[in-house]
Amino acid sequence: MSMGWITDTLILLPMGAAVALWILPWPRVAAALIAVGVSLAEMAVWIYGLTQFDFAKAGSAPQFQDHATWFGDLGISYDVGFLGIGLWLAGLTVVVQAAAIVYAVRAGRDRPRAYFGLMLFLTGAIVGVFAAQDLLLFYVFWEAMLIPLYLLVGVWGGAGRQRATLLFFIYTMAGSLLMLASIIVLGISEGTFDLTELRTSGTSTWVFLGFVAAFAVKAPLFPFHGWLADAYREAPAEVAGVLSGVVSKAAAYGFLFIAIVIFPGPAADFRVPILALAAIGLVYGSLLAFRAPDVRGVIAYSSLAQLGLILLGVFATNLSAWNGALLQMVNHGLISATLFMLAGIVELRTGTGSLDRLGGMARGRPILATILITTGVIALAVPGSTAFAGEFLILNGVFTTGWGWAVVGAIAIVLAAMYMLRLISAVLHRRGGSAVSDEQRDLRPVELALLVPLVACLLFLSAWPAAITSHSFGQNPSNAGLANLLGRYE
Amino acid sequence: MIPAAWICLFLPLAGALAITLLGTAVSRRTSALIATTSVAAAFAASVVSFVEMLSRSTFDRAQTSVGWDWLTAGNLDFQLSIYIDQLAVYMMLIVAGVGALIVAYSIGYMDAVDEERRFFAYMCFFVFSMLLLVEGGNLLMLLAAWGLVGLSSYLLIGFEHERPAAIAAAKKAFIVNAVGDATFALALFLLVQKTGTLDYTAVFADVPDLSSTVLTLVALGLLGGAVAKSAQLPLHTWLPDAMEGPTPVSALIHAATMVVAGVYLIFRTAPIFEGAPHVQDTAAVLGALTLVVAGLVAVVQTDIKRVIAYSTMSQIGYMFLAVGIGAYATGMFHLLTHSFFKALLFLAAGILIHAFAGEQDMRRMGGLKHLMPFTYTAFLVGALALAGIPPFSGFFSKDPILANALADGTFGYVLFGLAACGVFLTGLYAFRMIFLVFGGEPSEDVRSRYHPHGGKEGPFSMRAVVFVLAVLAAIAGFLQFAPFWTPVDDFLNPVQEPLVDPTNRMEAAASFISVGLGLTGIFVAWLVYSAKRYNPPHAWGVLRHKFYFDELYDAVFCRPAIAFAKALYALVEGPIVGGSLTGIAGGTRQLGGWVRSLQTGVVRMYVLGVAAGFAVLVLVFVAVR
Repeated sequence: MSMGWITDTLILLPMGAAVALWILPWPRVAAALIAVGVSLAEMAVWIYGLTQFDFAKAGSAPQFQDHATWFGDLGISYDVGFLGIGLWLAGLTVVVQAAAIVYAVRAGRDRPRAYFGLMLFLTGAIVGVFAAQDLLLFYVFWEAMLIPLYLLVGVWGGAGRQRATLLFFIYTMAGSLLMLASIIVLGISEGTFDLTELRTSGTSTWVFLGFVAAFAVKAPLFPFHGWLADAYREAPAEVAGVLSGVVSKAAAYGFLFIAIVIFPGPAADFRVPILALAAIGLVYGSLLAFRAPDVRGVIAYSSLAQLGLILLGVFATNLSAWNGALLQMVNHGLISATLFMLAGIVELRTGTGSLDRLGGMARGRPILATILITTGVIALAVPGSTAFAGEFLILNGVFTTGWGWAVVGAIAIVLAAMYMLRLISAVLHRRGGSAVSDEQRDLRPVELALLVPLVACLLFLSAWPAAITSHSFGQNPSNAGLANLLGRYE
Repeated sequence: MIPAAWICLFLPLAGALAITLLGTAVSRRTSALIATTSVAAAFAASVVSFVEMLSRSTFDRAQTSVGWDWLTAGNLDFQLSIYIDQLAVYMMLIVAGVGALIVAYSIGYMDAVDEERRFFAYMCFFVFSMLLLVEGGNLLMLLAAWGLVGLSSYLLIGFEHERPAAIAAAKKAFIVNAVGDATFALALFLLVQKTGTLDYTAVFADVPDLSSTVLTLVALGLLGGAVAKSAQLPLHTWLPDAMEGPTPVSALIHAATMVVAGVYLIFRTAPIFEGAPHVQDTAAVLGALTLVVAGLVAVVQTDIKRVIAYSTMSQIGYMFLAVGIGAYATGMFHLLTHSFFKALLFLAAGILIHAFAGEQDMRRMGGLKHLMPFTYTAFLVGALALAGIPPFSGFFSKDPILANALADGTFGYVLFGLAACGVFLTGLYAFRMIFLVFGGEPSEDVRSRYHPHGGKEGPFSMRAVVFVLAVLAAIAGFLQFAPFWTPVDDFLNPVQEPLVDPTNRMEAAASFISVGLGLTGIFVAWLVYSAKRYNPPHAWGVLRHKFYFDELYDAVFCRPAIAFAKALYALVEGPIVGGSLTGIAGGTRQLGGWVRSLQTGVVRMYVLGVAAGFAVLVLVFVAVR
């Protein structure tokens, strides 16, 4: 039973809907309705896929596979399917995208056909990145993911959107082109672009570094984050949420699934420098988040820190850390999307994200306060939460690699508490800030409808983080799968 | 026993969820009743567990029950499980029992307060977290609960979220505790690496195989968590500030239950600590130092709740001393009586604060004996129990700690000396508080600010709970009178046998010395603060500044961290990370400028260039060959 239609639908349905939105003259309302409907359909298909997935083999061969030759001479094909890790990240994508699209409906974006088309196209492209089993196809989806983002930031962004888009474009383009060169060299020299066949085949340090460049910029890994603060501040709130919540995970996924799985030798050589950059990013991002003057700045730099943590887990290269990294990717995706959209909701009411001018919003707005505090304390990985579970597995795994990394992580536990509690208090507590007035209402039903599912996912995972960790790399680590690659790093 | 323990654990969580989700659909009073009922039902369930446990033979009382696989990765499997043994049941009874009393008290205390529902939801969530802490079946569950009680503490300290002081105190409590969480987590990473598991029974079975270095490091990490949570030196600075929370919170979390979690942790992981004797000694020394330092600071405090807070630190110091020398059950008995008399003191103070519209400064009180006789009596019982005067409960639980110290050799004598100083200080600060607040005649100012609640000193729920606690604080000591009858020791000893065994002479000597010192402290307090034979000495700066811990941490950690973050912004993020791209763009433009200047349009120049290039190529080929 191939069930390839599940993957195809997840990728092609939103892309097709996007094209239909762009070329047909829909009325404004219809555009929003179609976007919401398609994103809900995506969620339904994904949940159905979850019930059909064989998690015992999650780490070995792709499931729900579909295959069609594209350029036969070059060995390039449309080859899609999910490993366990891809399935979870695709789930993160469809859930966050659905919330983002509802947010956009609520915020009311100009030129809705163009806007919602881009959002749907983006959905399909990101799912494609997680599903591609052909390296060139991966690149195609990778670029298909970036182009809508340039437009979404550049056209619908805030006042400083031009500089933000330019920075984002230059950084990611530089990375992407290096990756393209690497893909071509690797594919020609190995005679195939099939990701399963390519596993462990890469030996060239330069080709490896080409991939690392693209992923390091997109994650971002310190110090390649020059685009981050501007992009996260200027993008529309829901696009910022998608950027930091989902798109950054494509980079972490690439690090794990391509940089490490294809290039075990170079990855082992570069493990310590990358771990060091990740650890620096973790502390550096936390410190900057602690001093950031605005809501989005705190979330942006905390994302830098969280990606540092995830990459610590990815490059710790053992099963504890990998499971933790995957769990943390999902956690951070949900957290970051929720926080950015909450930031947007606060900005819609007060017209500012500056922490100096906010404060006292808990008074008379119990629902906003409850959701912000719940997400915030999960974000700071309060023990018992799903983020704590992810962080625990990551640091536990990286402790085996070298105890010093875990000590840095432990320091970051304290720093995370500092910046996140500062954010919570600056928005909610004390007397009302100058931009806050009593007329600003508590969350509306539509805002609740988009935030509650995200928070509910976080609470569900807090009760049962093993939902992901025991359903990702296969039950038996010794069977032929990703897990047995880890022997090469022992 | 197991089903009842699960019910006991999840009832308060259900209460918290119900109150949160029902929101304004139910009245404030209903939400208060939901909270009280759920915690009281949890207490009933813990009693059922206890009774069922008693029916089993002494060495067949520990049971594990697995809920589900909480977190897995490869070979690691951490379950949401509960481990119910004598220690767990003992703690469940205290947590749910005292919890139910204090939540009931809050019905009256929080009556007119805004956002009352939120308060009761938090209280239920706290009781759930605390029950998870004592019932959890492995060290990961313990750490998870460790964080959740810290979270509830943060939420409740900052309950009055418009007061900057309350918010600052809440953040401080959370962040100091995060330091403890971090060392706790590091200890667990090491344990997982060495044993592959965190289940209590499995870990303890592996302890003999672990090297002493590993055990020392693990024990140090755990001690870090214990010291932060129990507000012992040097991570104690958050507890006095935590008094910004509503008084029932101070009574429940910062006196009776959460802050004693460190004592529970050391008892629970005693096999690890016994494998690292120096760390266990360190716990005893920290306890002894804390009890003296906190006692000294308590003598000069003017805020009634802060006196009681420092007193709590001091009394937990006794418990740390006890478990640090291996007198586990003795420490736990003091934990029990302390939860009664300290909750009593806080709640009685709460009646007083309630009647004086939030006034907490003892210098603005005095003569309340005449206005509030009931509260006075309750307070007196609490203070006598605290000072260890027989027949009140503190006497029966504190003196055995001193006797056990005597039985621990030379090291024990030092600890005994410090503990004895603490006894004197306890009598002094407890009765200084009594005389300042209740002694003398009430001034006109005091009378004018006194607002009785409908003719009574406080609402019925508050008085009833204080009455119950006063009775318990007065008589609970008779539960155990070492060495004559020792049911608590007999019940708890199978969990971990004590390391010290005081003789009857030591018990007697400790009792006489301790009662004598306690009475001396009371007498000195009477001379100075009641009879006013002597003027109170000018408080030394070092005491008023609480030994400068806050100033020290501010200078060593807070300011440098902020300065470092600012420096990163100014020196790295701005010019280097942000500037790099501007630099590249500028460089490219400049390069373009140079190249443009070559495009002169003069054909001669181009020909010259081509010729020169050709010549260079020829030279290169010649040279390479």
